[in-house]
Amino acid sequence: MQAPENAGGASRFLVMRNIHKRFGGVHALRGVDLSLELGEAYHLLGENGCGKSTVIKIMSGAHAPDEGEIVLDGKSYSSLTPIQALSAGIETVYQDLSLLPNLTVAENVALSEQLVSSKGRLARMLNGARLRETAAKALDMVGLPSDRAFLATVVSDLPLAQRQLVAIARAVATRAKLVIMDEPTTSLTRREVDNLISVVARLRSENVAVLFVTHKLDECYRIGGNAVVFRDGECVAQGPLEGFTKRQLSELMTGHAIDSERYRTGRPGTEELFSTSDLGAGSAFRGITLSIRKGEVLGITGLADSGRNELALAIAGVAPARTGTLRIDGTDTAIHTPADAIHAGIGYVPEDRLAEGLFLDKSILDNEIALVVRQLSNSAGVLDKTAGARLAGKLAEDMRLNTRDLDLPVGSLSGGNQQRVLIGRSLGNAPKLLVLHGPTVGVDVGSKDTIYRAIQKLADGGMGLLIISDDLPELLQNCDRILVMNGGRLVAEFNAETADEDALYQAMLTPTARISDERIAS
Amino acid sequence: MSVSRPEELRESPQGSRAFSLGSLIRRRPELVTLAILIVICIAVAVANPAFLQPSTLIDIGRASVVMGLFALGVFVILAAGGIDVSFTAIAALTMYSTTLLVQNYAPELPILLVILAATLGGVVLGVINGLLVNILRVPSLIVTIGTQYLFRGALLSFIGTVWIMSIPTQMGAFGRMPLLQFETANRAVITLPVYFLVLPVAALLTWWILNHTLMGRAIFAVGGNADVAQRLGYSLRTVHLFVFGYAGALAGLAGIIHVSANRLANPFDLVGTEINVIAAVVLGGARITGGTGSVIGTILGVLLIVVVNSVLVLVGIPSTWQRLVVGSFILLAAAFFVMRGRRA
Repeated sequence: MQAPENAGGASRFLVMRNIHKRFGGVHALRGVDLSLELGEAYHLLGENGCGKSTVIKIMSGAHAPDEGEIVLDGKSYSSLTPIQALSAGIETVYQDLSLLPNLTVAENVALSEQLVSSKGRLARMLNGARLRETAAKALDMVGLPSDRAFLATVVSDLPLAQRQLVAIARAVATRAKLVIMDEPTTSLTRREVDNLISVVARLRSENVAVLFVTHKLDECYRIGGNAVVFRDGECVAQGPLEGFTKRQLSELMTGHAIDSERYRTGRPGTEELFSTSDLGAGSAFRGITLSIRKGEVLGITGLADSGRNELALAIAGVAPARTGTLRIDGTDTAIHTPADAIHAGIGYVPEDRLAEGLFLDKSILDNEIALVVRQLSNSAGVLDKTAGARLAGKLAEDMRLNTRDLDLPVGSLSGGNQQRVLIGRSLGNAPKLLVLHGPTVGVDVGSKDTIYRAIQKLADGGMGLLIISDDLPELLQNCDRILVMNGGRLVAEFNAETADEDALYQAMLTPTARISDERIAS
Repeated sequence: MSVSRPEELRESPQGSRAFSLGSLIRRRPELVTLAILIVICIAVAVANPAFLQPSTLIDIGRASVVMGLFALGVFVILAAGGIDVSFTAIAALTMYSTTLLVQNYAPELPILLVILAATLGGVVLGVINGLLVNILRVPSLIVTIGTQYLFRGALLSFIGTVWIMSIPTQMGAFGRMPLLQFETANRAVITLPVYFLVLPVAALLTWWILNHTLMGRAIFAVGGNADVAQRLGYSLRTVHLFVFGYAGALAGLAGIIHVSANRLANPFDLVGTEINVIAAVVLGGARITGGTGSVIGTILGVLLIVVVNSVLVLVGIPSTWQRLVVGSFILLAAAFFVMRGRRA
């Protein structure tokens, strides 16, 4: 029997109306309208900082919106708690996977189910048979082995790709109605992506909605479903993927008209500043040979699993390369530690400024001079505070920091200002080469502009700059040349003045044999 | 917590590695403890066959009880990612006040109720630890350093500093009640007391809780990554209260056994042996950072330390060397586990 009133709106699982969210002064979401139906796949597309992650955090109950309405399963809410979202069947597979590394596969997949049925009470016997049964069913669904040996494997012993599938299996195990996957394919090989695509098909056939957050347009088309495009905190387009070309999607994501202005006006020098020869590190990257001239801005891009991040860490000495050589200013230089890199004149601005870069509870001044305390100290090791304050003041001015109070803790600044402090600090040491790893991730438009202008000024002054980023407009606007990494290798070189995003995307996405695949084959 | 990139690099070549001794040891580090223990026992038995006499073995068994109970409590807290240094103060406070109470107000109280009272006292003090850790969100090391001073200070300032030489009769009887009795060649009577059974029973109970209840899995979940565990719906408060309460209970139990066995309630006893106990747990394969380890490993770690403490004399090494030996074992074991972990 079918009730007639269920025919139209019943499969609408989640509707968001006019959702606003502000973080301090940043208006992250500006009136988002969104509707998700059961059994459908959605691809949430947009550049970094467009509000994608804020939206999924609101769906999973991690953030409460400032304005707007959420209708979940026909019930209206002004905001959700994590428990409400979970018990309504919204499961999120976060990028960090949220696995418990010391527990077994079976426990990671299926403990939550017993926890939910005991309503969170812990004074209960563990039902080992049910645990294994639930886990095996969910693992079957995602195409992982479900034998007892695999069930009893500790998750930290699994390779990353399998961990990702375990995280998806956990979402599946608890009768989810909407599975949100935050960039699920960044660490998967092609075969594993194919497998994931069949998992999604199976989920949809069981009337589960799947929402992907992704950058990879090609994979969206392979999975199929609907595109939901975000730009600057607004949902600018929603509809079946077949209705959009790839070019239209990237135009919607970037809003070309605003972003096409090129910051780079200077010309690089002729003298070589930095070069690598045949640099390699295990299966992450191999055979990297590149060179940067004085006053040149070189961009490197690629997907998250292309090896670009590992290359940046190798040049900065954080995770050193295992083979190949580095030359800076005409001398071979061995870089085994971050201190080696700093000593050789390489400044590094890390990707994750909160975890790797800044001392959040220390003042702006302390952060700015952290790299040069030795130079600022006299022979007895006592810090010359006046010189420190002078240097920090100058760096703050160079980076056009919007406060003059250098005693403020860095943690109290906005993302954009924190990033300026970080870049300013690496300049204090007067590096010859500055490596910027995702220099404007999570940074507002105004700060982006300041950072880009600062980058150009540094290049005009003769410094070499290496920008590693997945923000293609950023690279096109700021670089002389752009190198593309794919599968651990450099696969293409572009002149940034004449290249366009399509060409870069093509080079990033064209399948190549991964180093690990080659090894298995040989 | 995000997976750091260097780790990904190290792991990618691992793939499907076949069974190896290395991975076995990584999964079951207590095998190393067992191996060291066996090697020491063989070496000592060869150097001095007196080691294998029942009297020595019974001595070792007797000496393991109090330390073993403490160690089980520490292990449960370590498994949940915390640490406790106040358990000896809990034991001292409960044993002394229980003895005093029984002596002055309830001299006829059956021994089982005496033990129960001490255990419950331990639970109360342990729960105080758990509440403080949960409410203050301060590392449990700091909290329990604070409460160690607090509990011990309360004992010495408000309850008493005098040794109780004549403990209540039922406690003394409990301390002497034999489980096994031997007569040695030189006519001395060697007794394995009934209270020895408390250790295997407590170990079995702990093993059962950790492996067969949701609480047990929640403890390891919180020890693996507290943020993630919380996101998945595990209640940190329940886990904190349970582990500290449970460790408190074991400490209370250990305290009353200590008094009964020594027939003396000395308020200055026990405090100061925390590091010894934590060392035993770590030697048993539990990581100080939490989320790993096993009950059997903990017991083996305790046996290792007790054996080292009691046999050095048998082979003619001065007892003052004991600390040197234990210290070297801890460093060797730590270096060994770290190296294995890096190569994997």
